[in-house]
Amino acid sequence: MSKEYVHPAPVRVWHWINAAAFVFLVITGVQIRFAEMINFLSLEDAVRLHNWVGFLVIADYLLWYAYYFSTGKIRLYYPNLRTFAADALKQAKYYGCGIFKGEPNPHHMTADNKFNAMQQKAYVGLMFIFLPAQMISGVFLWQVKGFENYINMLGGIRIVDTIHVLLFYFFATFMFVHTYLATLGHTPLAHFKAMFTGYEEHH
Amino acid sequence: MEGTKRIRFVAKALSIVFLVCIWTSAALAIDNETCMECHGDDSLRRTESTGMKASLYVDGEKFKYSVHNINGIACTDCHADITELNMDNEVPHAVNLAQVACQNCHEEVAEAYANSVHKKASHKGVTIPCYACHDYHDTARLAQATVSERQNSFCLKCHNPNKFHDWLPAKENHFALVECTVCHAPDVPRHVNLRFYDLIDNQFLKGDVILRHLNTSQEEFTALIDRDGDGTINVDEFEDMVLMLRQRDIRGVFHGELVVDMEPVVHQVNRGAANRDCSQCHSATSAFFKDVRLTFDMNDGSVASYNVDRQTLQTYFVEFNALGTTRVRLLDKIGIALIAGGVAVVFIHLTARLLTIPLRKRNKENA
Repeated sequence: MSKEYVHPAPVRVWHWINAAAFVFLVITGVQIRFAEMINFLSLEDAVRLHNWVGFLVIADYLLWYAYYFSTGKIRLYYPNLRTFAADALKQAKYYGCGIFKGEPNPHHMTADNKFNAMQQKAYVGLMFIFLPAQMISGVFLWQVKGFENYINMLGGIRIVDTIHVLLFYFFATFMFVHTYLATLGHTPLAHFKAMFTGYEEHH
Repeated sequence: MEGTKRIRFVAKALSIVFLVCIWTSAALAIDNETCMECHGDDSLRRTESTGMKASLYVDGEKFKYSVHNINGIACTDCHADITELNMDNEVPHAVNLAQVACQNCHEEVAEAYANSVHKKASHKGVTIPCYACHDYHDTARLAQATVSERQNSFCLKCHNPNKFHDWLPAKENHFALVECTVCHAPDVPRHVNLRFYDLIDNQFLKGDVILRHLNTSQEEFTALIDRDGDGTINVDEFEDMVLMLRQRDIRGVFHGELVVDMEPVVHQVNRGAANRDCSQCHSATSAFFKDVRLTFDMNDGSVASYNVDRQTLQTYFVEFNALGTTRVRLLDKIGIALIAGGVAVVFIHLTARLLTIPLRKRNKENA
């Protein structure tokens, strides 16, 4: 068994801050949206917490952005367009069938090639479209009056709210599925451990 | 003959008495035009005891459209201590007039006001008469006024809400869409006003224009839109109305504002009456959003209001977003389907993983 350093410290810091913040945002988001059904926080506290944690996510995103672009590691997220379709299919077959038979994972994780084709596709969408859209819509909803012109350019407050709410459900689902997928390492806790230590174990 | 003579005499006497009465009352009645002969001059001033010059000018145009003039209230109905004018004097009536007693007509308002922080301020030596908020001679009807117009003409004359609402998230948004008294006069009934904003002309459309486009009148509007005749425009009926407007190339959204009903109790504003429980408003079952009205501002200054089902606030026809309260239920259904789908995939995959443990063990042993 060999070890490889695949998750540098800034990435791990970004990841866990983001993870904790997302949990807070989902909980406070549920409280804000369903105030008449749920009452574990006052709405005022929920909104305040949601706003602060939202800004933490934005600051954390900037950390991710600065690190990945300044080191050039952002290439990890770019899919290889020639092999992408075939790789993604191979990966999907593995998760849908091969994994049950004990076949090896077709993707070998290294520091320079961290994500499999399906992860690349998902994370490019997440980090460059969904998360920025969630942050921007969140900032607009934080100061509706102040961003009135931008909100109107997007079609009004109801549209911005719709984007934020749909992405809220998407991220809530994502966190659940992401956590499950993280148990698909060579042991159920292997990937979790690696995200703390930085080292992935290879068999 | 004797009897006929007597009747004629009585008739003549009664006619004389009648004419004298008419002449006397005509002489006593001081019409508004007479007052405006002097008070219509914008340079009319008097010097107060403090040396300050006070204007005695009354803007006739504004007064013409004031709620009092519209209801036929004359100058001397309020300034009741002016019973006669003596034109020989420089000032034809008493120089110092009694304070106008609004409470003589507005009894219920006076009662509500008596129990308000503004009235109680008199203990501290501060007198806040009605006209401090309502102005002197241009007291206007407020039914057509927007939240910003209502606030600018009243509370914001003295109060700076920015000083006391730092705790309130998105406070500017609250100030723009919620009338102060919605929170600060807690006993007053409230409603959401929906007004049609034309996105092509970028302006609120007058009720007369909307009715003309719908080829109907104020009286027939209900029969046209509220087809089930239950007195409330439900979501489907509202949608049909929007479609009818679109067919006539009228495109826009209904802007919502939370305002108070024009009830006397609105004057009962008290310190500490507003609370900080956000969920009182921001929940789908909030009583604050029970009463929703489609409001048409008519050219004559009146307002035509029609009851609307509160569920309309949860549609995209209405541009009014109160967290929790106006949430679009369809989004929650989509969200729950998304989460359920994620859970199902994970559950099926995990089950398959557990069930295939023996298979993997066997394959490992064989390898």
